[in-house]
Amino acid sequence: MHDLLTGVFFWITLGVCLIGMLARFIMYFRGLSWQLDRVAYTSYPAAGFKGAVRSIYKWLIPFGTYGWRTQPFIAIAFFGFHLGAVLIPLFLLGHNLFLREKLGISFFTLNADVADIFTWMAVASAFFLVLRRLVLPEVRIMTTRYDYFILLVSIAPFITGLLARYQVGEYSFWLNMHIFCGELLLIAIPFTKLSHVFLFFASRAQLGMDFGIKRGGMKGTKMAW
Amino acid sequence: MPEGKFCNKKPVDTAEGINELLSDTSGNDYYKEMKELEVDSDLLWKTIQNTVKSRMKTWLEICAHCGMCADSCFLYEVNGRDPKQVPAYKIQSTLGEIIRKKGKVDNEFMRHCMEVAWAQCTCCNRCGMYCPHGIDTGIMFGYLRGLLYQQGFVPWELKIGAGMHRVYRAQMDVTDADFVDTFEWMVEEYEDDYPGLTVPVDVEGADIMYTVNAREVKHYPEDLAEAAILFHIAGENWTVPSKGWEETSLAMFAGDWAACKMQVESVYAAMERLKPKRMIGTECGHAHRATVVEGPYWAGRKNGQPPVESIHYVEWLAEALNTGKLKIDPSKRIKEPVTLQDSCNYIRNQGLKKATRDIMKHIVEPGFFIEMSPNKEHNYCCGGGGGFNGIGLFRKQRNIALIKKRDQILETGAKLVLAPCHNCWDAIRDLEEVYEIGIRWSFLKPVVVKMLEIPEHLRPEE
Amino acid sequence: MFKKILFATSATGASDHAARVAFNIAKSYQSHLNIFHVLGVPSRGYSQVVVDVKTKERVDVDEDYTAWVTEDIRTYYEKYLDESLNYTIDVAVGVPAREILRQAKILKPDLILLGGSTGDEGESVYKKSSLGSTLQKVAKSANCPVLFVNRPAASFWGGLSNIVFGTDFSKISDKAFDFAMKVAKTLDCELSVFHALDISALHAGKMLNQDEIEQQIRESLRKIRSRYEPRLKELKGYSMDVWEGIPFIEIVKYARDKQADLLIMAHHSRKISSEDIRLGGNVEQVIVRAGCPVISINK
Ligand code: HEM
Ligand code: SF4
Ligand code: SF4
Ligand code: SF4
Repeated sequence: MHDLLTGVFFWITLGVCLIGMLARFIMYFRGLSWQLDRVAYTSYPAAGFKGAVRSIYKWLIPFGTYGWRTQPFIAIAFFGFHLGAVLIPLFLLGHNLFLREKLGISFFTLNADVADIFTWMAVASAFFLVLRRLVLPEVRIMTTRYDYFILLVSIAPFITGLLARYQVGEYSFWLNMHIFCGELLLIAIPFTKLSHVFLFFASRAQLGMDFGIKRGGMKGTKMAW
Repeated sequence: MPEGKFCNKKPVDTAEGINELLSDTSGNDYYKEMKELEVDSDLLWKTIQNTVKSRMKTWLEICAHCGMCADSCFLYEVNGRDPKQVPAYKIQSTLGEIIRKKGKVDNEFMRHCMEVAWAQCTCCNRCGMYCPHGIDTGIMFGYLRGLLYQQGFVPWELKIGAGMHRVYRAQMDVTDADFVDTFEWMVEEYEDDYPGLTVPVDVEGADIMYTVNAREVKHYPEDLAEAAILFHIAGENWTVPSKGWEETSLAMFAGDWAACKMQVESVYAAMERLKPKRMIGTECGHAHRATVVEGPYWAGRKNGQPPVESIHYVEWLAEALNTGKLKIDPSKRIKEPVTLQDSCNYIRNQGLKKATRDIMKHIVEPGFFIEMSPNKEHNYCCGGGGGFNGIGLFRKQRNIALIKKRDQILETGAKLVLAPCHNCWDAIRDLEEVYEIGIRWSFLKPVVVKMLEIPEHLRPEE
Repeated sequence: MFKKILFATSATGASDHAARVAFNIAKSYQSHLNIFHVLGVPSRGYSQVVVDVKTKERVDVDEDYTAWVTEDIRTYYEKYLDESLNYTIDVAVGVPAREILRQAKILKPDLILLGGSTGDEGESVYKKSSLGSTLQKVAKSANCPVLFVNRPAASFWGGLSNIVFGTDFSKISDKAFDFAMKVAKTLDCELSVFHALDISALHAGKMLNQDEIEQQIRESLRKIRSRYEPRLKELKGYSMDVWEGIPFIEIVKYARDKQADLLIMAHHSRKISSEDIRLGGNVEQVIVRAGCPVISINK
C-alpha cells in the first residue's frame, strides 16, 4: 500500500497537478480578450505589468490592503491557514527528505518546532474558517457543501499528518492516510476551486492590469488597494 | 403573448417607438407584459458561451464565498446588512445561476435578475477593491445587464433611454439643431456680461472639442453658458461639434451594447472630422466612462483610446487653475464648510482624485474643505449610479440607497456639497428632497464662474 | 403698447393676483395673451418623469397629459376667457425660469408677466441649488420688460395715473427711464423719479453725518434734474425726489406715499453675486414687498 502511494500514485498525482496547473494557467491568459474584458492588455505591457504586480503583492502582505485591514478576523484566519497550507507541504523536513529521494531536489527546510506551530496554526485557522461560515449570516448564505468539502480536502493532510506525528493509534496507518489525503489534494488543485492556488495570481494580475492600463494607471494614479 | 407590444426583445429605434413607449404611463403595461415575456434560453446560452471567457469564468469559479466583499457594498450596509445584499451572493444567485442552468431559467427568475441587476447594484465597482481574489462584481453586473437587455428584461426608462441614443444619438430627444441653437442662445444671453463670448461650432483643428450631456441642453442650459465662459476667460481655442456632441450613454446603463457603440462612434466621428487636439467632456461621470474609458472598446479600438486624447472636465479645470489660465479672486473663495463627492466613474475607475483636490485647493479657503470618509477611490457611490436614479419601479430601493451618502455628508458637517457628476448631483438633490438635511449642492462650473478674476480686456465696460 | 404678452402662471392661487393684472392689461390694450404654464420640473434623474407643480405627483408627460393640463388651465381661467380676449395656452416641461425664457425667445413678447412664485414647493429643492429662483433668473435674462405681481395688494391695474421710476443713474436705468417715459406718455400718467441714497453702514464702510447726507442728497437731485427733467417736461405731471436709507425699503415706502400704480426699475444682472442670490438683490426685494406691480428692465 505504502509503496503504491509513494510510487505510481505519487508520480501520477504530482504530474497531473503540475501539468494541470500549467495548462490552466496558460489557458487562462489565452482566454483573456481585450474586447470582451475591455482592457487593452497587449498595447501597454509595461503599465499592465506594473499594475499586475502591485495588485498581487499588496494582497500577499498581511494587512497590506484596505480589504485585509477592515476585516482583521478573516485576515488572521486566512494568513494563519495559508502560511501552513503553502509552507508546510514544501518546506517540512520530512517532505524534503522524501522529495530528495524521489526527485533529487530539496528546498530549504523548516525547523521542526516552527513547522509544528504552522501546522497547528493551519488547523486552528481552518476551524475558525468553518466557524465563520456557520456563524456569520453574510458568509453562511453563500456557503455550499462544496465549500466545506474543499476545506476538508485542504485540511485533511494536516490533521492526518498531525495524527501520525503524535502517533495517535497506528503510525503507519495515519502516514498512509496522510499521503493519500495529500495526493487527493494534489489532484483536486487543478480541477476544483482549489485552482485558486494558481488562478489567484491570474485573477489578481488581470484586475491589476485593468487598473494599471484602463482605470487610472496610465493617468499616473496607483490603485490604493 | 410572449412578445409584448411594449415589452419585447426588440430595441426601440424609431421616434414613434419611443413615443409609443412613453405613452404607456409609468410603464404599467410594459411591466405587465414583461410577466409574459418568453425567455429565449438557446440565445441566452449561446451568448454566454461566446462571451463568458476566462476572466468571468474564473471569477465565478474561484470565489471563495468568504464574504469579504460584504462590508464594501453600501447597499449591503444601508439595507440592514441583509445577507442577500452581499455582492458575491447577488452575482452568484443571478448570473451564476443562469450559467449553472445553461440558460434554462424561467420568466420569474429573469425578472428577479432584473431587480438585482438594477436595484441591488449600481456598478460602482467598490467591492472589487475589497475582494482578495480581485473579483469585480460590478463588472459582472454590467455584463448581466447586457444579457437581460437582450432578452427584454430591462427597466422601462432604460429601454427608452437606450432608444433615445439609437434615434437621436443623445440621451433625450434633443436634435443636433436644438443643441447648436441652445448653445448660441445661451451665449447671447451672457454676452453682455462677457463681451466677446461666442460658441465656435465645427471649427477644425481647435485645441479643444467640448462635448456635453443632453440634459444640459434640454433643462439646464446655463451649464453650456458657464462652460463657454470658462473657456473664454481661459483664452482657450475651443469648439463644439454640431454632430456627435453627446457624451453620455444611458445605453451603457441599459446594457444595450449595440447602442453604446453607435453613440460613441458618433462622438469619435466628430473627433475625426474636426481633428481637435483634445476632447473635453462636461462634468459627468458616466459620460466620461462611456465615451473615454469603455467606449474605445465598444468601437473596436484595440489600443483602448479614443481617436484623440480625451479628458474629463475636472482635469481641464485643474490644469487651467494650476497653470493660471484661470485665476480665482481669493476674496471670493468658498468660506464655509464644503465637501466633495468623488464620482466612482472617474475617481475609482480612472484615478482622477488629484485633479478634483487641486481644484478644491484653488476655490476653497484653506481649512474649509472637509473630506468625506471614506473618500477618493474608496468613496461610496452616491446611491443613484448605474441608472438607479431614473428607474421609477425601483424608486423605493433607490431612496434607501441614498442613506449612505446622506450619513457621509452629515458626518462632514458641511452644508455645501460639490458634485462634479450629473448622476451624483441628481442623487444628492434627491436626498435633500427625501431626507431634508438642509444642504445645497452644485457642479463646479457655476461656483468657479462666480469667483473668477477676469482679465482687464475681457471685462464689460461700465 | 403691449402687443404680445407672455403670462407665465402656475395656474394656482399663487398666480391669481398676477392673473387679474394679466387679463386686465390684455383686455385694455387688445394684446395677444399667451398663457404659459410649466407643468412639471424634471425629476428622477435622466428619465422623462417630472414632478407636476400642482399636484406634486410624479407623472409621465405625454400628449394626453398635456392636453389635459391645457384644458385644466382653460377651466381655471374660465371667467376671464371670453371672445374679446385674444389668447393662446401653452404648457411645457422643465425648470420654470428656463422654460419661460425659452418661450420668450420664441414669442418675442413686449412684456412678460410673472405671477407669485411660479411652481412653489415642487421647485423648492431646486431653489436651494445653484440655479437661483425663477424670479431672479427671469428678471436677469429676459429681453423685454418683466412685470411682477407678488402681493395681492399689487394686483390692481386700473386706469394708471401714477408711475414711480427708481433710478441709480446707471446705463440700464436710462433704458428703464425710456420705457417709463413711453408708458407714462401713452397712458397719460404722472411720473415720479426717485433715487435712494444708500446709507447702510455696510455699504459706505463708515457712518455719514447728517450734513454729508444732505449734501449728497442735493447732489443726487441735481443729477436727476440734469438727466431726466428736460424729457419729463413732456408729461402732464412729474416729480423728483431723493431719500436716504436702505434702497429697497425706501423705494417701497416712496411708492406707497405716492400711491403709485406701477413701479419701474432697472435690474443689474452683473451685480448678482453669490451672496445676493441668497439675500435677494435690490429689485427682488422690491418685487416681494411692493404694493403695486413692478416692472424690471435689464436691457
Ligand atoms: C500561494 C497560494 C495560495 C493563495 C495566494 C491563496 C489565496 C487564497 C485566497 C485569496 C482565498 C480567499 C480568501 C479567504 O477565504 O480568506 C483563499 C481561500 C482558501 N484557500 Fe487558498 N491560497 C493559496 C493556497 C492554498 C492552498 C495550498 C490550499 C490548500 C491546502 C488553500 C486552501 C484554501 C481554502 C480551503 C480556502 C477557503 C477558505 C474559507 O473557507 O474561507 N489555499 N485562498
Ligand atoms: S470577497 Fe471575493 S472571494 Fe470573497 S465572497 Fe466576495 S467575491 Fe467571493
Ligand atoms: S459594484 Fe458597488 S453596488 Fe454593486 S455589488 Fe459591488 S459594491 Fe455593491
Ligand atoms: S452617480 Fe456618481 S457616485 Fe454614483 S455610481 Fe455614478 S459616478 Fe458613482
